[in-house]
Amino acid sequence: MKLLFIQSKPPHGSVNAQEGLDAVLMGSAFSDCSLLFTGEGVLQLIKSQDPADLGTKDFAKAFGALRDYGVTNICVDAASLERYQLSVKDLAIEVEALASAEAARLIASHDKVLNF
Amino acid sequence: MKFAIVVHGAPYSSEGCLSALRFTEAALAGGHEIVRVFFYHDGVYAANALAEPPQDEVDIVAGWQRLHTEQDVELIACIASCLRRGIIDQTEAERYEKPANNIAAGFLISGLGQLIDAAINADRIMTFGA
Amino acid sequence: MTLHTINKTSALALCEPHLCPEDGIVLLEDGVYLALTLGKPAAAVRSDVEARGLTDRLPADIRLISYDDFVSLACEADKVCSWF
Repeated sequence: MKLLFIQSKPPHGSVNAQEGLDAVLMGSAFSDCSLLFTGEGVLQLIKSQDPADLGTKDFAKAFGALRDYGVTNICVDAASLERYQLSVKDLAIEVEALASAEAARLIASHDKVLNF
Repeated sequence: MKFAIVVHGAPYSSEGCLSALRFTEAALAGGHEIVRVFFYHDGVYAANALAEPPQDEVDIVAGWQRLHTEQDVELIACIASCLRRGIIDQTEAERYEKPANNIAAGFLISGLGQLIDAAINADRIMTFGA
Repeated sequence: MTLHTINKTSALALCEPHLCPEDGIVLLEDGVYLALTLGKPAAAVRSDVEARGLTDRLPADIRLISYDDFVSLACEADKVCSWF
């Protein structure tokens, strides 16, 4: 059973991105999970975030745990990165950048999709 | 077909909660099985016993409760989302020394594992976003 | 084949790049406004279309569906991907 979690919301403006991450981490305990960041979701990965004054979750730290939880297939939509003038070097963790059509095939290749 | 229904939006704040209810009703009418309805993010507000919509509007909380009482549909509200938003049952009210609890009858508060379990065991996952 | 659901106009930009040619689209809630300009076949939830006064404004390649039809479409697809 291959689950794909798609994250499309930015961090900090709502708790949705954090709760989406919680779902991935829980999912990894039960099944083979992959993660795709697309649209504003890629903004979750920007390195050097400092939410101390907001009191919200430090995503960079949380993402560091993904591989420990066995989530190793972590992808980003390359066109979304480009839209926000980001490259993979600007991101807190190592990811695979996919062309949008490759991300479409990623969706097709998984058994089920959970959107956040 | 076995469906898992995931509800992200609060009733009335966006249309997703109502769309999810209509889809779930249709799935049951079509003879399909609902593994679980999992309320996440603001969706947990559907479990608020204190909601009182105007008489001439659809009562979304009551709609979900009807599916539970009449068709045994399991309604699970995520505990982490619930605690953040102040939807609590008696157990959590005592644990956190709150003056009252407000979980609507028919809903249970439980963990994210219930979402993943439903996702794995259902044939289709339907997510109704906010 | 994946069935993609879109519930608001801003979600099209998320969904469209990730469509495979064989995939299906269901427009619901405020996403039915996309039916006016989508330019490709899609299904739109009738109750949402009627609520918004769009019934007589839709291109021929937009199919109005009930929730019963929506359930059938979800069964016919391999999986459902929801964009919001």
